[in-house]
Amino acid sequence: MPPYDDWNKLDEEEDEELQDTSYFERKHDVILFAIDCSESMLALRDDPNHEDAKTSHLLSALDAAVQIQKRKVVVGPYDSVGIMLYNTARRNENGPGSDIKKGTYVYQPMSTINATTIIDLTQLVDEAHDNLDLLNEEYPSTEKHIPVGDLFTSCNWVLRDGAPKSATKRIFLITDNDDPLEGSHNSRLITSARTTLTDLLQAGVTVEPFFISTDDRPFNQHKFWANVLVTSSESDEDFDLLPVSLSISRIDDLLEQMRFHEVPKRALFNIPFELAPDLVIGIKGYGLVTEQKKGAYKYFVDLGDKMEVVESITTHVDEEREAEVEKSEVLYGMTMGATAEDEDTQEHGFGTRSVRAGRRVFYTAEEVRSFRTLGLEPGLKLLGFKDRSELAFEDNVRHSLFIYPDEGTYAGSQRTFTALLISMVKKGKIGLVRALTRRNASPSFCALLPQEESEGEGWAEPSGFHLIPLPFADDIRAAPIEEGIRAGKELVDAAKMNSAYQPDSYPNPALAFHYAQLEATAFREEFDPDSFEDHTLPKYNTIQRKAGPLIKEWLKCLQNDESAKAVIVEAGSKRKADVSLSEAEVRSRYESGGLMQLRVDQMKDFLKSKSLALSGKKADLTERIAEWLDEHP
Amino acid sequence: MPPVSAGAGYTVTIFLVDVSPTMGTYRTLHLSPHPNEDPPTKQVTYLQWSLQFAMLKIQEMIFNGRKTDQCGVILFGTDETNNIINRKDGGYDHVTEFLQIGQPNADTLAKLASLRASTSNVPGDVAIDALIVGIETLSNYLATKRSWTGRLVLLTDGESPIEIVDWEAIAKRLNSFNYRLSIIGVDFDDDEIDFHEKGKSHVKHENESFYHKFAAEVANSVMGTLSFALQEVTRPEVKQTRSTLMATVLHLGDPANNPLESVEIIVKTSKCTALARPKSWKRFAPREGKSADEMDVDSAPTKHDDGDGNVNKVIWAQLRMRTEFHVEHDVQGDDGDGDEDGLDVDRVKKGGAKVEKEQLVRGFKYGSSYVPCPDGQFQRLSTRKGISICGFFNADNFRREHSIGEVHYVWADPRSPSQQVALSSLVKAMDKLDMYAITRWVTKDGSDPKMGVLAPCRFRKVDCFLWVQMPFADDVRKYTFSPLQNLSNRRGEKVTSHPYLPTHEQIGAMDRFVDAMNLMEAGEKDEDGNRSPWYDTRVSYNPAIHRMKQALFHNAVVQDLVADQLLPPHPELIKYFNLPKQVLKDAKEATDECKTIFAIKKGAKRLILPKRVPRPRKNDHARAQDDDDEILLDRVAPSILENRSYSRTEASYSQMQPQMNPMPVKPTIPRLTEDDSETESESDDDAWPPSSSKGAKLPTPSPEPGMFADPQRAPGRIIGMATPLADFKHNISQGDVISKAVEDLGWVVKEVVLRPFAERRHMEMIECLHELREVCLQEDEIDAWNSILRELKECTKEAGNPAFWGEVQKHEVDLGLIAASEAARHGGRSNISDSWAEKVSLSVRGKLLY
Repeated sequence: MPPYDDWNKLDEEEDEELQDTSYFERKHDVILFAIDCSESMLALRDDPNHEDAKTSHLLSALDAAVQIQKRKVVVGPYDSVGIMLYNTARRNENGPGSDIKKGTYVYQPMSTINATTIIDLTQLVDEAHDNLDLLNEEYPSTEKHIPVGDLFTSCNWVLRDGAPKSATKRIFLITDNDDPLEGSHNSRLITSARTTLTDLLQAGVTVEPFFISTDDRPFNQHKFWANVLVTSSESDEDFDLLPVSLSISRIDDLLEQMRFHEVPKRALFNIPFELAPDLVIGIKGYGLVTEQKKGAYKYFVDLGDKMEVVESITTHVDEEREAEVEKSEVLYGMTMGATAEDEDTQEHGFGTRSVRAGRRVFYTAEEVRSFRTLGLEPGLKLLGFKDRSELAFEDNVRHSLFIYPDEGTYAGSQRTFTALLISMVKKGKIGLVRALTRRNASPSFCALLPQEESEGEGWAEPSGFHLIPLPFADDIRAAPIEEGIRAGKELVDAAKMNSAYQPDSYPNPALAFHYAQLEATAFREEFDPDSFEDHTLPKYNTIQRKAGPLIKEWLKCLQNDESAKAVIVEAGSKRKADVSLSEAEVRSRYESGGLMQLRVDQMKDFLKSKSLALSGKKADLTERIAEWLDEHP
Repeated sequence: MPPVSAGAGYTVTIFLVDVSPTMGTYRTLHLSPHPNEDPPTKQVTYLQWSLQFAMLKIQEMIFNGRKTDQCGVILFGTDETNNIINRKDGGYDHVTEFLQIGQPNADTLAKLASLRASTSNVPGDVAIDALIVGIETLSNYLATKRSWTGRLVLLTDGESPIEIVDWEAIAKRLNSFNYRLSIIGVDFDDDEIDFHEKGKSHVKHENESFYHKFAAEVANSVMGTLSFALQEVTRPEVKQTRSTLMATVLHLGDPANNPLESVEIIVKTSKCTALARPKSWKRFAPREGKSADEMDVDSAPTKHDDGDGNVNKVIWAQLRMRTEFHVEHDVQGDDGDGDEDGLDVDRVKKGGAKVEKEQLVRGFKYGSSYVPCPDGQFQRLSTRKGISICGFFNADNFRREHSIGEVHYVWADPRSPSQQVALSSLVKAMDKLDMYAITRWVTKDGSDPKMGVLAPCRFRKVDCFLWVQMPFADDVRKYTFSPLQNLSNRRGEKVTSHPYLPTHEQIGAMDRFVDAMNLMEAGEKDEDGNRSPWYDTRVSYNPAIHRMKQALFHNAVVQDLVADQLLPPHPELIKYFNLPKQVLKDAKEATDECKTIFAIKKGAKRLILPKRVPRPRKNDHARAQDDDDEILLDRVAPSILENRSYSRTEASYSQMQPQMNPMPVKPTIPRLTEDDSETESESDDDAWPPSSSKGAKLPTPSPEPGMFADPQRAPGRIIGMATPLADFKHNISQGDVISKAVEDLGWVVKEVVLRPFAERRHMEMIECLHELREVCLQEDEIDAWNSILRELKECTKEAGNPAFWGEVQKHEVDLGLIAASEAARHGGRSNISDSWAEKVSLSVRGKLLY
């Protein structure tokens, strides 16, 4: 299972037999980078990341393309990427792209993400960094900007050649030129640009522009692009509205901007939301937070000249008969008791049940589904509103989902949704809903947490509701400890160190470590584990600087606290005679070299009090104690 | 939090079942809930009905599968007698120990289901006798099991007269053993659910009042009517799981390097929430003898016997999962690129050949490249167990929607007062300042770290932390959404009035709606008479889990699902499915206002056609972008317009097609070679271009040595198996390791043809042999060739791959042994004489090989 697919699955979908998930697995993403190669893109500038180094917009864009492809290995290993340069005099001699419009050049034909192309591109980027004229020599600019229509036409041809039909196809358009017509109001050119773009849209391709803006050349989208780039959400009503997917950024933010678009936005479900009987709007649900796991390993078979992935196919067999059973014949029931010894079992083997002909004691798949859904149809149903404070910290079992109105299924959804959002934020309310997100899911109750869009620079949180699944009584565990000794008075003055939890500051180190090794192996490079940096480790220096003295103070208070000297009376009479030794005793034994003389139960008792492992032989225990004592002088 | 329940299990239940003749009375059961149809009814005997209760209880024991959850069945009112007291002292007639105490199984249920009421009249005073026998049996069995609980369940219709003697003594005895007693009667009156049987017999009336009196004397007793008891069996009951305390350490600061300014607290963690899932279903299929029985199946309806006989039983067998591994591979070549559609059809279908698990290698995919990893995982990040605090932040900034998992408790070591004080002081401080802590948790040495947030939690008598996992940067998807409130137009100006934006009037209506739908005071009244909020997680049961359990139990107990339909879900299970009636009523006005003012129209937008630019597939762009064609409400969308635009696009494509065919590949650029093999198909994911088996020029990706060592090159060999010919030529051109190259190519050919699926490379191997022979001739490696050929024959012809040997034979003229004369022509020597070679060659035609 490639990790990307995890994003597109809901947790409820365990029963793969009844669920068709193939839809998501086949849906691949195809990105064509269309990078402007004009003079301003090739012009050398100071590298913001390296002192005394130079770079160009084109180089940065190519670098971004490398990074995006590497990311794709993690998020969409079956996706395809291609790179096309435009406004370049370079032509494809033959091979893919040799017949595309003049001024466009296929640098990397569409292909599934793979190590070779990434290595090639990385080499080009590296060489270009060393030899700054390289890109200029290899991919010289055309004198004039090519017609935008030609650009789109070439994109269309390249994509059509290389992209699977079912995939989502996107063009990442990277340019710093806000006026490719150079001021001329040639309506014919604008029309051709629009028509060719329409052709693209009709072929299911979306254009995601990344416009580069610089201080000396600010990008003005209204000069040209905003008029040409119609977005898909456009209709006669919102024709005047600005397309959302426009991204204008500084070159250093280019990669960050692209990261937002690295996977196509996909809805997990599109269901009706019943606010009240006969008051229904349409919504779409998205997964904005899900644990990204390492991809599971796959099995390969050696075909001699190459390794081929094998597919595992699960069948259901009657073991006694060694026969595969037709899916249509299968019914569902409960396993027989573990020690069944009736005649039938003896006669026909384990797990059988004899049923009189013409009668049915097992359920059909449809019946089983109705037990799971309790006969409900997919949808959200509003139950009412509660105060925000009712949503407790501990009422969580799973990640949340995000819902957004869908005007397409119910006209008026968006304004109703927005009014609800505004009202709930104003009143400090959360919603309580009954949710059945998919046909084969089971109903759950969820809190509806409103979120208003944030305004400002950079990443803006979208407007919508977070759908937070609440635990059932079945999911709640009792607190195993009901009593304990408490601190008599305030002992700590905690030091504030962060403003909030920012996921962006914490890349998953285990995942990164895994992919770093995977990449090194794929690139046939040595992997150096020491060079790996774990960003999740506490910043000890900062803690010490900000809180060191406070912690010291706290420790002192703790040592003087009277209640800490209380003796805990152990419940239960079976306890053996007290064998425990104090830390000081153990330490003095250690220092005098007499640790080995302790009994194993004494050692274990000490280890247990320090939350250390109790496994192993006496020598292991001794070593573990010694290690701890060394670390805690 | 719900209270911790007493440990489950360690219970013996004895069912005392009345089988007196009156229990054979039929009763009509009304099967709810199909209000529209005639209420379906069913005739069952009192006994069958009562047994339902026993069977459901027993089924629960089977379901839980505890060895310490046992039961027995004692019948009273039987014709014969067989019980523990009778065997010892006589008396206690008409009480029969039907099933001995033990762990129940499906057989237990089957036996119960076969029970019938007695036909002959027996003295009616046996209920009390049965109780005494039951107590005796229990106390005997539990004599050595002091900590176990005993339970008696009496099932009766109360129609047989009871001899009321010594009942106080019996009650005392029950109390002294602390056994629990349940008396469940068919149609007993029950004030609680307001049920009163009409036309009750005098005997039953008397009996009921006796049972009431008796039950009142027994400390642990319940009494009730059967119909209610049956409903209560399906009452959702939470399966209590005790969380184990896991030992770990909470760090603040760096104890290893700066012990004076860092803190370590010994802590234990346990789960606070844990996702419970429904029991899985097992698959069953009928087992039919396909030969003789087929006749039976055809004639089954006539032979059918609805009576008690064992006629025409079908055996249903539980199915097991079996995983098979298949590999997709082309049976014929990869040269189909130029194929026009006609040829494609004729191509051999891609077959999924089965592969044994032993042949498989583990690895990962790097995009379409393969990275071997025999262990199934790479070296793991080295980590130390513990919870490290990375910083504190204001609780107001906590983003609730970022919680991505189950919640954990973090307790101080219950054995250490100093640790408890330390943790408590931290909890208190954080609580007072309203702070949460950012933490990194490693559950055990070497496991992957998780980020999370610690929140202070103060119970009545203890302080602790709650911890919940937060997403890593990798776990957050930043999709862009159009703003809902701050709309701007193409000129960059803010839009204030638009059909997408709610008006003040609309927001006002929504405000009233939100107020009306308030749940904060819609729940039960508490002790002080104040209404509590409606909906409480602690009593909200997972409907799927409990409904499935109910269905599973039902399925195990009944003999025919069509006749015995599953009862509706317990009301407790669906109590939160709809909002409280009062709220619904109160919100009526606000709801109606919203309906009018928001004027939502289903699917209306799809009908509007664009006015400015005719763009037929407009709405589909929306779908294409968001990518959810799958979705329910969108299914109705296909239109003629759509199809037309498709065909238009298709047409323009096909016009371009001829000139856009993939061009021959420049072999010097590996990247391009690869792309050629990887356009639309998914099967050629490998980094190595598949070799063409047409025998034409092989694509030579000329891997740069060093950088791309052939992953399939065996140690010590200089020829790899992926592109042997290219490797060979490369080595020969180097000119210094010819003998080694010859030997290795011979070895590779042999290896390749002996592997599974070798036929796809036959042509390539033949070509290798041609090249090899040529080189052998030129470079005086004639003896090597001759021995390679012999060896090849030996291993292929006999067992390995006779088909390949057949191929070699076809090329006998230029792949034969090199004889002396031919060798001499090239300036070499062969120890095979011409005549011998000739002879063998001839014998080839006579099927005697070489």
